[in-house]
Amino acid sequence: MAARITLLDEARIGLRSLLDRVEDIAAPTVRLGVTGLSRAGKTVFTTALVHALIRGGRLPVFEPANSGRIAGADLKPQPDDAVPRFAYEDHLAQIITQRQWPASTTRISELRLAIRYAPRRGGMRTLTLDLVDYPGEWLLDLPLLDMSFADFSRNSLDLARDPARAAMSAPFLAALAATDPASAENETQARALAARFTAYLAACRGERVAMSLLPPGRFLMPGDLEGSPALTFAPLDLSGETAPKAGSLGAMMARRFEAYKNAVVRPFFREHFARLDRQIVLVDALSALNAGPAALADLERALDSILTAFRLGRNNIASALFRPRIERVLFAATKADHLHQTSHDRLEAILQRLVDRALLRAKAEGALFDVAALAAVRATREASVNRGGTLIPAIVGTPEAGQSAGGQRFDGLAEVGVFPGELPASPDALFAADGGFIGLASGDDADSDFRFLRFRPPGGIGAGAALPHIRLDRALQFLLGDRLA
Amino acid sequence: MVEQRGRRPEIFQLDDGGLTLAPLEPVVDERALPVAAPPPARSRFGISLGGLFWTALGGLVSLGTGLAISRLIEDLFARAEWLGYAGLGFAALLAVALVAILTREAMGLARLSSLDSLRQQSADALARDDRPDAEAVARALLALAKETPQLARARGELSTHLGAIIDGADLIRVTERTLMGPLDAQARAMVSDAAKRVSVVTAVSPRAAVDLIFVLYTAVTLTRRLCELYGGRPGFLGMVRLTRHVLAHLAVTGGMAAGDSLVQQILGHGIAARLSARLGEGVVNGLLTARLGLAAIAVTRPMPFAALPAPRLSDVAAGLIRKAADEAGEPQPGKRRAGGAEGT
Repeated sequence: MAARITLLDEARIGLRSLLDRVEDIAAPTVRLGVTGLSRAGKTVFTTALVHALIRGGRLPVFEPANSGRIAGADLKPQPDDAVPRFAYEDHLAQIITQRQWPASTTRISELRLAIRYAPRRGGMRTLTLDLVDYPGEWLLDLPLLDMSFADFSRNSLDLARDPARAAMSAPFLAALAATDPASAENETQARALAARFTAYLAACRGERVAMSLLPPGRFLMPGDLEGSPALTFAPLDLSGETAPKAGSLGAMMARRFEAYKNAVVRPFFREHFARLDRQIVLVDALSALNAGPAALADLERALDSILTAFRLGRNNIASALFRPRIERVLFAATKADHLHQTSHDRLEAILQRLVDRALLRAKAEGALFDVAALAAVRATREASVNRGGTLIPAIVGTPEAGQSAGGQRFDGLAEVGVFPGELPASPDALFAADGGFIGLASGDDADSDFRFLRFRPPGGIGAGAALPHIRLDRALQFLLGDRLA
Repeated sequence: MVEQRGRRPEIFQLDDGGLTLAPLEPVVDERALPVAAPPPARSRFGISLGGLFWTALGGLVSLGTGLAISRLIEDLFARAEWLGYAGLGFAALLAVALVAILTREAMGLARLSSLDSLRQQSADALARDDRPDAEAVARALLALAKETPQLARARGELSTHLGAIIDGADLIRVTERTLMGPLDAQARAMVSDAAKRVSVVTAVSPRAAVDLIFVLYTAVTLTRRLCELYGGRPGFLGMVRLTRHVLAHLAVTGGMAAGDSLVQQILGHGIAARLSARLGEGVVNGLLTARLGLAAIAVTRPMPFAALPAPRLSDVAAGLIRKAADEAGEPQPGKRRAGGAEGT
């Protein structure tokens, strides 16, 4: 992969990080990347984190806050003027007053916080915290840098022909079968094919299948690049090893694939990803459990791919000066409030198992990794239900309107108690080769092993009050504790 | 797979009779909690002014000593060659002895620290009922007990139990009962003897200065012997640290001990004082020594008192109080308990 990061890029990254280090001397800065595949809860996490730092709150595990050493935190103008600002105030208002989750992250955004704190030795310092919130799908693009168009086509089509995705990919594959890569280039045909491809990727994200590994990421969140040639390509069935003829459809697609890498992937890598100091990767393991074994396996592949991206960041270290390393990575299973707290350890074990393969490879890099089950905003309460003498640990919350479970449709107003299913004591049981459990993807709702509903944010939080959370303090301690020592 | 599946997902209505809402309590990971906020450092530069002063002074004194020795040897050489060589030889011996002493001190200190941490570990293992930790503690104590010949039998007993006990807390308790039991009895006897000796010497000593010195001497010896009994080997520095710990412990437990035995002390003193002032002083000094001994036991014992009862003042000062009472020729409240403690 190293070869594909050009020398020029390398020089620009080096210069940039040198500048960052110089700034660091004047004002110590931490760049914390918040990422996760879509619907993992990035926006909510960032909002809750900022709120917790500004407003304070109950953070017993976050030592600097708990011992009273943090004097306060303020929002500051962000450093990069070209990057959208994270709309913290809007998101917070939406959670508190409208009881709705903020819209999902479709692009990168930044927010700068200045934390005034007293170091253990006394005195007063300011730590600048730059939060960089970006879609995890973009990380899945980083491995593309390593691929030629032929590799990309082979990988994508292998994924598309996977039985778990067959239903979604059928229209695209049918269109593909009718296409000859050697035919003359044709914009109409390219656009039709790209549209089918995009539709297939979008369909894979539905609740019932919940696939994760869907590169190229910008197809699902095009932003202002929508309709540009760089986003109008699709994998082709390239037979043989020979490069497509000039002027053919294949050559056009290959050219656009390269353009995608140059216009989308490389700038993101250079401008944002390569500059991060800390990273939290939010993982929505519960959606995958909801959907079924195929989604879980897909999530594992996607996390694997994300970890490869981190390796990339650390493989070409010339020195800490020219190449900042990501020192700490936290993998967080979000939406822990959808489970009774007695199951949190099991959720953590599942996440550990998901990232295990990837961590093994990354272990030698010297960065710190941790795994936690958390809920940035806790939407439920706990309860126990007595059923003939056995106490069932359940959670109580308001499900979002439009979902149904157990033969009941929710209106988004009534509170219900939910027992979402029992996570296995050993995560390996879920990864059994014959499909360790039954999810929504396999058809009948009544048959599935897990049913995690989406809950609305909790009601009754005042504008100035602290948000309830689960282990947000632990995440803060891991990510920032040492820098506030 | 299906037959192995756990409970199925289920939806409950809030008006369900069996549903009990839990109080809205934050989820807190006890194990992730910071142990305690570390105390603020005294100086911003990492070294205190006092430290700086002593470091500098120590450096100057060592340089001065070194210079004086090298001058002396040069002078000796100037006078006669053989004198010079003799001086050189003594200097070398001095250096070797110094290194040996320092090594011993360092080892003594390290050993004390390891005993302290062992005590902490066993308290932790007891609190958390942690089997692997408990086993580690038990093995460490077994290794420590190898150097105590009178524990050979207890050691054998414990080694056979080690694999058979499942609960961590139980393992700690069994270890304490087997290994610490015999040592506790000895320690109690030591403290009791020292207290008696002090009270007698105080009662018969001609001058206050003499018994002051004797009390100090006994206290230091007692502390050292207790420490050796429980497996420590304190050198000079180790003794300094140990004494500090004992005094600190005394300060902390003084208040608690008051509830247990103040009445007894005052009463005992009162009776004795009526008899004779010297005898009364003797009893008070003896009680003081006994209490010091108890504090020393608490800080030198490598395990906390969990399965076995901690010795009380009445246990170790029994003879003393009885003696005072006997000599006063009248019954006093400590007697009944004292008689009970004699059997141990």
